[in-house]
Amino acid sequence: MAMTMKGAVALPAEREVVWAKLNDPEVLKACIPGCQSLDKTSDTSFTAVVKLKVGPVGATFKGSVELTDLDPPNSYRISGQGEGGVAGFAKGGARVELTDPPEGEPGCTLNYDVEANVGGKIAQLGARLIDGVAKKTADQFFANFAAAVRAG
Amino acid sequence: MTAVSMVVNGKTVSKDIDPRTLLVQFLRDDLRLTGTHVGCDTTQCGCCVVHVDGLAVKSCTALAIQFEGSQVTTIEGLANGADLHPMQAAFREHHGLQCGFCTPGMIMMAVDIVRRKGNDLDDKTIREELEGNICRCTGYHNIVKAIHAGAEAMGGLSKAAE
Amino acid sequence: MSATGIGASVRRKEDFRFITGKGQYTDDVNRHGQAHAAFLRSPHAHAEIIRIDAAAALAMPGVVAVFTGDDLAADKIGGLICGWMIHSKDGEAMKAGGHPALAQGKVRYVGDHVAVVIAETLSQAKDAAERIVVDYRVLPAVVATSDALKPGAPVVHEVAPDNAVYRWAIGNEGETQAAFAKAAHVTKIDLVNNRLVPNPMEPRAAVGDYDSGQDAFTLYTTSQNPHVARLVLSAFIGIAPEHKLRVIAPDVGGGFGSKIFIYAEETVCVWAAKKVGRPVKWTSDRTEAFLADAHGRDHVTHAEMALDDKGRILGLRVHTTANLGAYLSTFSSSVPTYLYAPLLSGQYAIPAIYCEVDAVYTNTAPVDAYRGAGRPEATFVIERLVEVAARETGSDPAQFRRKNFVKSFPHQTPVIMCYDAGNYTAALEKALEMADYRNVGKRKRESERRGLLRGVGISAYIEACGIAPSAAVGSLGAGVGLWESAEVRVNPIGTVEILTGSHSHGQGHETTFAQLVSERLGIPIDNVSIVHGDTDKVQMGMGTYGSRSGAVGMSAIVKALDKIEAKAKKVAGYCLEASDQDIEFRDGKFTVRGTDKEIDFASVALQAYIAHKFNGQDLEPGLKESAFWDPTNFTFPAGVHICEVEIDPATGVTHVDRWTAVDDFGEVINPMIVEGQVHGGIAQGIGQALLEGAVYDAAGQLVTASYMDYSMPRAEDLPNYRIGMTQTRCPSNPLGIKGCGEAGAIAAPPAVINAITDALGHEDIAMPATPQRVWRAVQKMAPKLAAE
Repeated sequence: MAMTMKGAVALPAEREVVWAKLNDPEVLKACIPGCQSLDKTSDTSFTAVVKLKVGPVGATFKGSVELTDLDPPNSYRISGQGEGGVAGFAKGGARVELTDPPEGEPGCTLNYDVEANVGGKIAQLGARLIDGVAKKTADQFFANFAAAVRAG
Repeated sequence: MTAVSMVVNGKTVSKDIDPRTLLVQFLRDDLRLTGTHVGCDTTQCGCCVVHVDGLAVKSCTALAIQFEGSQVTTIEGLANGADLHPMQAAFREHHGLQCGFCTPGMIMMAVDIVRRKGNDLDDKTIREELEGNICRCTGYHNIVKAIHAGAEAMGGLSKAAE
Repeated sequence: MSATGIGASVRRKEDFRFITGKGQYTDDVNRHGQAHAAFLRSPHAHAEIIRIDAAAALAMPGVVAVFTGDDLAADKIGGLICGWMIHSKDGEAMKAGGHPALAQGKVRYVGDHVAVVIAETLSQAKDAAERIVVDYRVLPAVVATSDALKPGAPVVHEVAPDNAVYRWAIGNEGETQAAFAKAAHVTKIDLVNNRLVPNPMEPRAAVGDYDSGQDAFTLYTTSQNPHVARLVLSAFIGIAPEHKLRVIAPDVGGGFGSKIFIYAEETVCVWAAKKVGRPVKWTSDRTEAFLADAHGRDHVTHAEMALDDKGRILGLRVHTTANLGAYLSTFSSSVPTYLYAPLLSGQYAIPAIYCEVDAVYTNTAPVDAYRGAGRPEATFVIERLVEVAARETGSDPAQFRRKNFVKSFPHQTPVIMCYDAGNYTAALEKALEMADYRNVGKRKRESERRGLLRGVGISAYIEACGIAPSAAVGSLGAGVGLWESAEVRVNPIGTVEILTGSHSHGQGHETTFAQLVSERLGIPIDNVSIVHGDTDKVQMGMGTYGSRSGAVGMSAIVKALDKIEAKAKKVAGYCLEASDQDIEFRDGKFTVRGTDKEIDFASVALQAYIAHKFNGQDLEPGLKESAFWDPTNFTFPAGVHICEVEIDPATGVTHVDRWTAVDDFGEVINPMIVEGQVHGGIAQGIGQALLEGAVYDAAGQLVTASYMDYSMPRAEDLPNYRIGMTQTRCPSNPLGIKGCGEAGAIAAPPAVINAITDALGHEDIAMPATPQRVWRAVQKMAPKLAAE
């Protein structure tokens, strides 16, 4: 089950500030919905535990998160994959790019282009719900992230 | 473990159970009433239908502890001693079963349809009301016939009792 | 005809236990001290297993053991097998990839078995399975049937580097090309026979038990053929020798083919019972059934029919790609070959036929026999071709069929089969009459006035049943003989037990078989019991599938009853002081011809056992006989089904308005049961045509893995059926039976699609013809019709 999503959020902070937060495990942990832990294993990689629920199937996914294609303070690719045991697996990635805001507005714009894949029980029983869940999860992440940026 | 107590087929039963025990597991595993079957995991097939306080319930989608103090009737409790319930007799008379796996749920649902819709049923009503019961063997033709006949017989019986 | 004899609609003996909740299905079996198994299944369609870490799972409460493929390998437990050898047209043997019961190094479909957890309770086993950590290296997957043979496609098994299991052919290529060369008209079609999930309402289950005192195993399992299960588990998988392995298939809640096969789960349960020293029980949930029960159909076909200028069929050529999934299931290789192509001649006299079948591996669940097995696929090809050819040449579809029917018997087709008896025209005429075919035009106009599109579709099917002459199937690659066995045990008081190798999982053998015995021996039907489904009781048997229990299983009973009668006549002769040559047996009484001396069956039975009237050296005491019946030919049930649909062009919803079925099953023992079989088959066929389809996404995830997403036919989706019969006796078995179990599922799909395409006025619709597809097809209708 693959799905893709694109979107943009306006953030009330300078690009460098946003970039720093995009690389801060504490911030990411707080923003990823259902994230139980996010531990740095190198400058660009983490291990993560995320709880995810799709329709009737809820599971704890354990896996890794990796940052690649780094172009500070402009863009990177964040990708992750996790195994949820009997529930199946989830993997996905997002290209995240910071651009200038529309004329006359402060801060910067965060553009994202997400692709996600799930398999196993989560796909078997939740197939019709996955698009909605993926969108909600992404929306929530970026809403949380915007709030974190606002909070400074 | 949680204590639960209910009346099943006229007998009071009390057990300590894991709180996540489904009603169907309680009936099948704890009480060994294996006439109630599990045919799916998603409340669609109706193999598990029982009556709780007179209403049809899919016992695979309800926790046993929800029914503390309830009156539960399973397929084993439908007949009056050696006398078959008219709906049971109609299923046999009209060949409304083949492998028999969906049959307990079908019969329990059929009795509930009569309770809700009366004894004079048309085909369309019966077929609509069976939306939550799947049979893979019969193609439903004879189940519909059996429910017609069972419903009529139940009406005859209740008239006779008046 | 007696009230309980042959031809009577006797109400079923088995029903009492089913309608009162007293059936004993495998999941109802509980052994003292049993533990529960949960399988960890692959979430990936194709992956290497780098490592399995079960430490956390083993530490979970209640866990007894965790096993993986390494444990099976260490115990030298063999893989699952495919029991039918097919050779490619170049002579090469089919390429069977290894099929371990628990994956060894690689998983090949979503649902493949990775590990098993055995725990005190099912919940504990499931909880612990969540804790097993598997490192996978995910590989690209090949999923679609039509992608499997493409260059560069991911390879499922190294033994088949191009994913071809075999490239097989049948018929005469040269003659067929010649027929096409002289054709006045050629009709061409492309068809997809959609992948189905069998879905008997009872999910599969197994309870393995090991008795260390006897060093013997018992397996309770949801099987259509427990003896074949024992044979495979013993001789090929290596659980235990046959005399140390008892397989019991108690009440089985439907099979439709999917319970013929020997699967990983029962293998693991019976093996693990000895490993953990206690009974091990597993019951499939519905999603597991969707993932790991063998699926059915899944063909992609191009077919062409050559006609002369008078609309007579000259030849047929067919190319089919058949998806067999990730592993070869027990009989999978035979389904798209010998159970398929030999039926492509349908009911028609076709001088030349050539068919090629490429069977392929994909990263999907194994595909094997499902109700009809190959014959529905063949019927779909020929009946769609005939319909389209009739339309293209401007003939009435009924007349086109009539013209091309086989009319004299026996009829040898160019593809193996020799049709022994039938009257296809009679069934067609009767069906047309019952369906009020002549007034279809009027009904179409009435529908039109209501804004609906009405179409009528005919399907004239034939099937080869009564499977099958052992030597014949042996020459075609079968690993087993397909006879059946029976034993008749007459008790001293004259009651009778029939032990049969057939297995009833809804077919009503306890009634039908007892009718035969009751009539033959002149004893009350309640004095007969049918014993089946236990390898310790029945000596050997081949089980129930391919509409074989009547034609083959009952023939074995007849043969054993012949022996009983011969022996009983000898006993009666001693009792009545006459030669057994002078004894007549009728209506349960033995009489001396031309005298009033008589003795009833029960008394003869008693005399046979007390052995006072004869000398044990002259005649063996007792009254028990057994027989094996090996058929001399397939049987050929045939018939005509006519479907009338109404389509709402606004929604694309197809409503099946009328269904007429006229079938020739030869002699019928119990019409009520036979009609029930027809009903159920039609429902499955309508399900295939309108509702059902197993869908994998591009990555190999099964997205129709529950009743939320896989549309099972429900009561509201189906009509009442009008059932009629014609009768030509089957000449190859003593009862004249042809078999009825698969007819509806074979006949129905083309009848529905022919009706829909009739309504649409074009041929562009695929199965399942869901409202979405039909709505789209309505948009492609010729402008005049679409505007209405």
